[in-house]
Amino acid sequence: MHIVGLYISPIAIGALKDLILTILSTLLSFVLGILFAAGRLYGHPVIKLVIGWYVEIIRGLPAILQLFIIFFGLTQIGINLSPLTAGLIWLVAYGTGYAVEIFRSGIMDVAQGQREAASALGLGRWITMRKVIVPQAFALMLPALTSFVVLQLKNTTLLYLIGYADIMYQARLGADATEAPGTLYLMAAAAYLIMSLVIGRIGYRLEKRATAYR
Amino acid sequence: MSNEVVVSIRNLTKRFGKTVVFEDVSLDVHRSEVVAIVGPSGAGKSTLIRCVNRLHPFDEGSLQVLNHQLNKGSQFPSKQVLNDIRTRVGMVFQTFNLFPHLSVLENVILAPIEVKKVPRKQAIQQAMELLDMVGLSEHANKYPKRMSGGQQQRVAIARALAMEPEIMLFDEPTSMLDPELVGEVLDAIQRLAKDGMTLMLVTHEMQFAKEVADTVVIMADHRIIEKGPSREVLENPRTGRAQAFLKRVLNPVHATELEREVAVGHGGGR
Ligand SMILES: Nc1ncnc2c1ncn2[C@@H]1O[C@H](COP(=O)(O)OP(=O)(O)OP(=O)(O)O)[C@@H](O)[C@H]1O
Ligand SMILES: [Mg+2]
Repeated sequence: MHIVGLYISPIAIGALKDLILTILSTLLSFVLGILFAAGRLYGHPVIKLVIGWYVEIIRGLPAILQLFIIFFGLTQIGINLSPLTAGLIWLVAYGTGYAVEIFRSGIMDVAQGQREAASALGLGRWITMRKVIVPQAFALMLPALTSFVVLQLKNTTLLYLIGYADIMYQARLGADATEAPGTLYLMAAAAYLIMSLVIGRIGYRLEKRATAYR
Repeated sequence: MSNEVVVSIRNLTKRFGKTVVFEDVSLDVHRSEVVAIVGPSGAGKSTLIRCVNRLHPFDEGSLQVLNHQLNKGSQFPSKQVLNDIRTRVGMVFQTFNLFPHLSVLENVILAPIEVKKVPRKQAIQQAMELLDMVGLSEHANKYPKRMSGGQQQRVAIARALAMEPEIMLFDEPTSMLDPELVGEVLDAIQRLAKDGMTLMLVTHEMQFAKEVADTVVIMADHRIIEKGPSREVLENPRTGRAQAFLKRVLNPVHATELEREVAVGHGGGR
């Protein structure tokens, strides 16, 4: 039992760090994701193509490989990133690749009749997007966005591979130093589980509120 | 009805890719005129009125709307012209197309505030008057999905009217409604007609067309097959094709046989 007491605070701190990284990378991925989705839907053909490739690359390459390219690969051309910076860049790059597709399909799923009604009223493209399409798309997308946040949280476990001191890192340290790897990994699991459940709960609440009009 | 022509359609042709929707269609609509467009499904009625507010481009011919000359082809008119047309021509859709995430009131005030820059307070006051006119002022804070189809369609009418249009386009405004809700929507449209609004109305309500419309246009086989004063066209159609169509809508069970004969006699159906 004293193992739990000994490691609870490093794991809790690790969890907090993971949570902050998750929130930060999610926010940045959403902003970029919306911009890229708009670019992919309405942009110049070249922009559409480039964003299309970007999405394919992010979704096609193994996550660890992407992370290692950013952290280790870039040192070869003189770019040395700290584990935190490299981790954040990767989480945002990776998250954006997925967010683009969530936003794009959300925007497309809003019925064509809504666009026509907006056009017939003389509403411009930007207002239509902001007042008509995005609010409805957001309600449609919320389940996917909630899973996205949980996915990002789980992705933070990979950062221990580049030496970032998160939950996973602390659990691994403890597992090696004590005779109780099971206890330590269970503690890590509990921390992730609690955070996932909270995220899911928040997503559910938001969804209920966003779809109240249906 | 005045002599001023507000919509002038000349030899208009519209295709989607290779399929011809309609060909060589000509029609003048005068200020305060009520034009009902009837005809079988797929005749291109919706597409025609959607050209008027430039929801669709057209391929040949010319189209003048409120002194704006619209050019053929997919190039949009200038922003000012498009905006002027869209604000002065209102449209009501078969499927209502209300914004479901906005309350009834917000649906009605959105465009006046965003497009015409009407102060919010004034927009709300005007919206409430319009909602009152269509008998829905006590539903102003409801979400559209909580209302019946007839109520939703009346909100859609109020929403379009909030832009103070000079012309209103209606695309089968009652065909999605339960029969007992049709009347309330037709009443609202009839009121507009009485107040001198210019109306282009695609409908299957022949009785309504006969009573309210000045002019009836029958579209079939990719063109206008008959047009004229509503009573004349609906009671004594000249062409066999029009006779067959009207017989079928007025007496749905027995007329298909006749129509097939006539269509074949005219050198082919669709
Ligand atoms: N966006 C589109 N792309 C391709 N074809 C289309 C499109 N919209 C309509 N059409 C075709 O154009 C033709 C005319 O359609 P339209 O909707 O104008 O007919 P309608 O007279 O309004 O019929 P209905 O009474 O069924 O509403 C149809 O054959 C339809 O399939
Ligand atoms: Mg139609």
